[in-house]
Amino acid sequence: MIDAPFIEIEDLHFSRGDHEIFRGINMTIPRGKVTAIMGPSGTGKTTLLKLIGGQLTPERGRIVIDGQDVHRLSRKALFTLRKRMGMLFQSGALFSDLDVFENVAFPLRVHTDLPDTMVRDLVLLKLQAVGLRGARHLTPAELSGGMARRVALARAVALDPELILYDEPFVGQDPISMGVLVQLIKRLNQALQLTSVVVSHDIKETLSIADYLYLIADGQVVAHGTPQTLDTNQDPRVSQFIHGEPDGPVPFHYPAEAFYRDILGEPPMTKTG
Amino acid sequence: MEALGRAGVFLFQSAVGVPSREGWRLWLHQMHFVGVLSLAIVLVSGLFIGMVLALQGYTILVDFGAEQALGQMVALSLLRELAPVVAALLFAGRAGSALTAEIGLMKATEQLTSMEMIGVDPLRRVVAPRLWAGFVSLPILTVGFSVVGIWGGYLVGVEWLGVFEGSYWSNMQANVAFVSDIGNGMIKSAVFALVVTWIAVFQGYDLVPTSEGISRATTRTVVYSSLAVLGLDFVLTAVMFGGL
Repeated sequence: MIDAPFIEIEDLHFSRGDHEIFRGINMTIPRGKVTAIMGPSGTGKTTLLKLIGGQLTPERGRIVIDGQDVHRLSRKALFTLRKRMGMLFQSGALFSDLDVFENVAFPLRVHTDLPDTMVRDLVLLKLQAVGLRGARHLTPAELSGGMARRVALARAVALDPELILYDEPFVGQDPISMGVLVQLIKRLNQALQLTSVVVSHDIKETLSIADYLYLIADGQVVAHGTPQTLDTNQDPRVSQFIHGEPDGPVPFHYPAEAFYRDILGEPPMTKTG
Repeated sequence: MEALGRAGVFLFQSAVGVPSREGWRLWLHQMHFVGVLSLAIVLVSGLFIGMVLALQGYTILVDFGAEQALGQMVALSLLRELAPVVAALLFAGRAGSALTAEIGLMKATEQLTSMEMIGVDPLRRVVAPRLWAGFVSLPILTVGFSVVGIWGGYLVGVEWLGVFEGSYWSNMQANVAFVSDIGNGMIKSAVFALVVTWIAVFQGYDLVPTSEGISRATTRTVVYSSLAVLGLDFVLTAVMFGGL
């Protein structure tokens, strides 16, 4: 079973109102690797993570995590499955009424009966791993964006999960924290034998850590492969995204009526006769 | 109609269940936040309302030479009506709006989602202690409101306007029935506690997670709770005292 994929997504369909977000997505996420899911903003990458985490229910298709169909589990079984996952939110999503230490201790306190001294040791170990052992007494409001994300990462790995979902880990980071996060994700994955799913549109950083990539656009997987194969992919949709070209199959303009009509009103009548 | 169904399922999922040891700790914490911190506004309002009742009551009763009945009048008005209703309205403004805003902000900053992903049900961890704290603390606040109000009536009626102290207390004692006056007042208060807290936490949990959404939901909490309290008060009064 060790080579079986950790997550299998089959024929996934999902809409919000009239807006179709996914139209038949198929993916296989291998165990113990970093898999990146990329795509332009608004393609529903975060939605995909929420579907994997069982917070949203697809209209069609299924998501199987380690042999369990996420959306057929009871509420209780789903919460048990979630103990094996960690998720890093874009905003960090730290609990604002707890300090850094208690935020990282939270999963340990609710899911284990460990004595306080052991909780303390584990929390300090996790905080040491993200370099914030000294910040344990700060409140979330006192942290910078990058620090908040590192604390959230320490919290996400507190229970030593088998899977971590990263939601846009690099967005809005200065180059230094970006470098720190890239290194942390890579190191954690190797050290803890995790399966990681990174959702991102930061190409350089993502290509440097991913073992395998999926590119989604228009509700479908448009390409997948290793970073090398995607870099040389000739599909215009893929190369526009990978090379960051402003215009291409993904248009620069939001759909609108013709420009001259919008500015001038009705076109001038042509004279006849 | 659909929102009402959602709110019903929400209430059931949050309120039903055996609390853990941690649950008790969270509940106590919320009792402090929701109940103890509302004490000041509720008690001060109770004092003033009792004083005003005595003052207004005296000017009417004295025309009939019936100012000895002042104690009974103050006590019955407070126990049957004013304490449950005004305490609930104040509670909606002080604690209800805070509950909505707090839960709403937790939702907007993805704290509820991240809690779910950690494998902790926010309905049990965040909502249940707040609901139970509201259920329990409002009736207690109502008792405090009545006690302080009756004392306020005493200050104005007896100490200031010179009603005979013995008749203030003995008329009250003789004419207030434990079950039909105090008991019915407490039943009202329990119903208001359920409705106000339910509205407050549901509005917080169900709002659109933006700053505009939070402000709207907070307003809705106060408006809906106030209307529900006043409407239900009429219905309950009709059933309890109107011989329906």
